[in-house]
Amino acid sequence: MMKFKIFWDFDEEEKYLNGMAAQGYIFKKYSIFGFYHFEPGKPQNPNYRIDYRTFRDRKEYDNYIALFEDAGWKHVWGTKNSGNQYFLPMSEKAGTDIFSDRISAAARYKTLYSICLAHVACFICYLSVVLLCSGGNLSGIAFLTPDLWERTGKDFWSAFFFELPFALFRVVPLIFLAVVAIFYCYWGTKARKIYKLSINEQNSHE
Amino acid sequence: MNPEKHLPLTETTFYILLSLLEPGHGYAVMQKAEELSGGRVRIAAGTMYGALDNLLRQKMIEPVLSKDPRRKMYQTTAKGAHVLRLESERLKHMLDIYNRIQGDG
Repeated sequence: MMKFKIFWDFDEEEKYLNGMAAQGYIFKKYSIFGFYHFEPGKPQNPNYRIDYRTFRDRKEYDNYIALFEDAGWKHVWGTKNSGNQYFLPMSEKAGTDIFSDRISAAARYKTLYSICLAHVACFICYLSVVLLCSGGNLSGIAFLTPDLWERTGKDFWSAFFFELPFALFRVVPLIFLAVVAIFYCYWGTKARKIYKLSINEQNSHE
Repeated sequence: MNPEKHLPLTETTFYILLSLLEPGHGYAVMQKAEELSGGRVRIAAGTMYGALDNLLRQKMIEPVLSKDPRRKMYQTTAKGAHVLRLESERLKHMLDIYNRIQGDG
């Protein structure tokens, strides 16, 4: 079974996976754009924990998973670049959480925020290149036929429809990337907010 | 760079630097911290990995050759050992003041 869900908060996501397992849906994997894959199983009360990390290389990723396994946590799902890393305790020594202080738990949101920021920066670079190439005129990159917009009647429509697929081909990737960038902007802002909130909470406890 | 700016150390960082005066992998540090603190300090896996990552970036620990292909070994650097000593002096200073005002002597 597949479910579409978007979470901004790791605690909420953990609760969701625990809740699904209680109903007999065992989390198998996560695929991009918010799709959770479940398999039917015996209802249970697991303790999912989520870390957020990407890795330079395979070796570092293996080292990371080995550390968690040594400490009694089974890596349920995640890839080198997935960010979200899902864990379940597999022995007593795991304890109840993968974080022993609030600062390190909050650091996940900081990592998430900087990755979102990097994505947005990439898009801005891409947009600048496109703008530069089109001489600052975005509508110019869609339709290239000279004086298209001055034409009238049948002459205009035939030229317009002839070029429309090419125009879409040029513009759709740009729009798609813009939507993704806006999404990352929003996600990054959320992550930053939760990070600030948990750091402030930490300070008021001291 | 001024080593003072790393002070005060968190409890986690303090025990990692202390444990890694001898080379060891992540889980060995978790065990050693628990042992050294008499079971009081238990560093969880996610916190441990994040702390090692930070210390590597701050050049207070460094990777050393590991026989185990899956587990990286780390060791405290000269800079890390220096920061650790500054921290112990800071703590001792505070303790001395406390004893002077509140102690029995």
